[in-house]
Amino acid sequence: MEWADFTAGRTGDLHGRAIREMTNTTNTRRDTLFDVEEMELNFGPQHPSTHGVLRLKLKVDGERIVDCYPIIGYLHRGTEKLFELHPFFQNVPHTDRLDYVAAATNNLAYVGAVEKLIGLVVPPRARYIRTILCELQRISSHLLWLATHAIDIGAMTPFFYCFREREIILDLFEEYCGARLTLNCMRPGGQPFDLPVGWGERCAEFLDDFPSKIDEYEGLLTNNRIWKKRTVGVGVLPADLAQEYGVTGPMLRASGVQWDIRKAMPYEAYGDVEFDIPVTYNGDTYDRYLVRMEEMRQSVRIVEQCLDKLPDGLIMAKSPRVLKAPKQSDAYFSIEGPKGEIGFYLVGDGTPNPHRCRVRAPSFMNLQVVPILAKDQLLADMVAVLGTTDIVLGEVDR
Amino acid sequence: MQELRDILGPTLFYYAFSPAIKIAVVVFVGVLPLISYLVLAERKILGFIQVRTGPNRVGPWGLFQPIADIMKLLVKEDVIPNKAVKWAFVLAPCLVVGPAFVIFAVIPFGPSAAQTGGGLDYFITDVNIGVLFVVALATIGVYGIIIGGWSSNSKFSLLGGLRSAAQMISYEVPQGFSLVIPLLMAGTMSLQGIVGAQLEQGRWFLFAFFPFGLIAFMIYLIAGVAESNRNPFDLPEAESELVAGFHTEYTGMRFALFFLGEYANMIVISAVAVTLFLGGWARPFPNVEALSFLDASFLPAGLVGVLWFSLKLSVFLFVYIWFRGTFPRYRFDQLMDLGWKWLIPLSLVTLFAVGLWKVLLL
Amino acid sequence: MLLDLFAGLGITGKHLLKNLFSTKVTVQYPEERREPAHRFRGMFRLDEDRCIKCTLCARDCPIDIIYIDWHQELNPETEKKEKVLDRFDIDVQRCMFCGLCEEACPTEPKSIWLTTKTYELASYDRWQNLYVDIDELQEWKVRPDYTDDEIV
Repeated sequence: MEWADFTAGRTGDLHGRAIREMTNTTNTRRDTLFDVEEMELNFGPQHPSTHGVLRLKLKVDGERIVDCYPIIGYLHRGTEKLFELHPFFQNVPHTDRLDYVAAATNNLAYVGAVEKLIGLVVPPRARYIRTILCELQRISSHLLWLATHAIDIGAMTPFFYCFREREIILDLFEEYCGARLTLNCMRPGGQPFDLPVGWGERCAEFLDDFPSKIDEYEGLLTNNRIWKKRTVGVGVLPADLAQEYGVTGPMLRASGVQWDIRKAMPYEAYGDVEFDIPVTYNGDTYDRYLVRMEEMRQSVRIVEQCLDKLPDGLIMAKSPRVLKAPKQSDAYFSIEGPKGEIGFYLVGDGTPNPHRCRVRAPSFMNLQVVPILAKDQLLADMVAVLGTTDIVLGEVDR
Repeated sequence: MQELRDILGPTLFYYAFSPAIKIAVVVFVGVLPLISYLVLAERKILGFIQVRTGPNRVGPWGLFQPIADIMKLLVKEDVIPNKAVKWAFVLAPCLVVGPAFVIFAVIPFGPSAAQTGGGLDYFITDVNIGVLFVVALATIGVYGIIIGGWSSNSKFSLLGGLRSAAQMISYEVPQGFSLVIPLLMAGTMSLQGIVGAQLEQGRWFLFAFFPFGLIAFMIYLIAGVAESNRNPFDLPEAESELVAGFHTEYTGMRFALFFLGEYANMIVISAVAVTLFLGGWARPFPNVEALSFLDASFLPAGLVGVLWFSLKLSVFLFVYIWFRGTFPRYRFDQLMDLGWKWLIPLSLVTLFAVGLWKVLLL
Repeated sequence: MLLDLFAGLGITGKHLLKNLFSTKVTVQYPEERREPAHRFRGMFRLDEDRCIKCTLCARDCPIDIIYIDWHQELNPETEKKEKVLDRFDIDVQRCMFCGLCEEACPTEPKSIWLTTKTYELASYDRWQNLYVDIDELQEWKVRPDYTDDEIV
């Protein structure tokens, strides 16, 4: 397909317009002595740093990126359609596979939507357990992000340090629910399991140790002049643009917008614990890095408080074995996932299956700004920008 | 020696100890095993830095890993892309490896026969324009990378080749300037002569004309890392950006040749740095009598020289690996920035200062 | 001057020295094997005697990989009609080990369970080894008995 085909077909939408405006910008190099030709570069779907099967069609002028067009869909599995074919409780394993590095938050967004649709009240103990799991998941997801982001920019060692700590979190998950990655650890109405004996102590042990490990990553990166050169001022995302494109999560907060669903609309146990929302104002890659590092520290705080306050009692609400949504009902429930706002919109029609399901995937929304961030940057910045958006293709393509 | 000459006769003796034969022996007996075990050492050290074990499957502590790697690379299918320019594609790896090995001809690994009072010369040949020879040959290596990147007919390779062209040409300038400073200090271009001058003056050139020797050494170190395409200047093969840069399309033994070239370059640059700035094969503080036990006089004097040389060399190589385990990668424009705006002016100023010092004060 | 770079070198250097002699985090897999957690969801096991043939597990499976056929026959000893399994197959190669079948099982203790701590499922044959029938589900001695977390 030719380059023109990609822009010609999309005259109506905002995104197409943005792309076209980028393409139409006057190329000052045309007036030079030599005839300058731009090169098309296929970045992905098989490339070490596209984090999955994202394909970017780049127009490059030497090293400078003139234009960038992301092509998605290589991991499309029809998850939203699959949801319609299964009863509510059978869909939880499918949500694991959306953002496959943060399964617990996906589970929570989905079961939260089901509970809202049907009107189940989750017992407090289950709410606390969910909060603990989600915050551990946030740490593990941010660790994976840091690992890959650092290795994209060329620092190899933080990758292994991050995986060392992520392994401990995965071990905790394995002890709790029997799986390490695709957790399937929540059910509509509560939690399938209680915390195992001694789990809280092992978790607290990890949390005591973890802040010193964050210092270690920061010692390797935060003040390093090469790291700063590669990230400060790269891929600047202004706050208004971020809000226009529906960017959420650390990317939005790095642009100076204090928006976090955990604070704005507290769900589960977030209303009962104290934590801060880190915000920075430059909106560049370095700031997004700082926000995520601070978020990990705050997550440690949240989990510690939850473990202290963990109430006794039931872990599962009384509910019928087969859940049925009321006729003509709908519910949208969203939570603050590691990558941004992940939400599920469910429509019920009186049967055990959802009539329609729609996933608001943060990676998909965040990916939309990549062409804007990457424009006029160098090829090396492309991987920095792509890494800092923290996309997971399972969620983008669904 | 003399007995050997009597046995072989003068002609045969001349050919047996001609530089060409010596290069072959040094390369195949010394450098090739050194490179393969340098790769193992790098993987092990990186492993330890990154809290893992490194290779440990082939033999005890993975000691036979390099042999297994070489066997694997030798029997792998050799793919030449359909649209590649064949002659250039085949030529490129040789252009990288060849010059890197030839440079070993002038590196003084140990003292000459005259200095130890008979016995072997612990170097291949002593050219009176040694430094020039090193610089000239090191320049050829870049052509291999450019040709390899261009002839693969792949966009990523091309970008890698272009990056390396710009990078290596930019960094050759400060490297060259910083090499001139020890020459000024020693007053000779022969590498063996420079070591001799350091022995004579009783100090490493690193500390001579303080702090200019140190600055020159730092410039050479940075430029050397950039010249050998290692972290944090490994832009031509930046894995996360250009897949594998200029050698994306290379497989099997041709890829191994690029690999060999890179590590041979590393060793050459370290060896030159050791010779020019760290006193070559001389022991530390050669003028301090109290440390004379470091000469290990129970061993042949030449061998002790070689030992000291290898020790200094391995410190250098370790620093290379350490850098790789620690630093992120520079961006292309920042690399040019560093080279042209900082290193070149700084090296010029240092050169000028040393020259002035030498003219006015000495 | 260059202090930031040396700080990073210090951290990696510290790890290098520490890891030269101490044990690493790597698990040398074929020699050492991690003991999975008690709740670890691994390979299946079935107990035919406990199974009441309710087919709840097959119905709760999100991807329908459990195939159960049964018929009723008269037990000559008790003179009662009993359900007898004809077939209990699991197509493990599509299984995602979500554990919903185990949760659905109404018997106490469970008749089908995944907490067997068996995770080495690699095989050379795609179809025969990963399509397990009732005999394989029961007889494979590698798979231990059902362990309830509360008991342990």
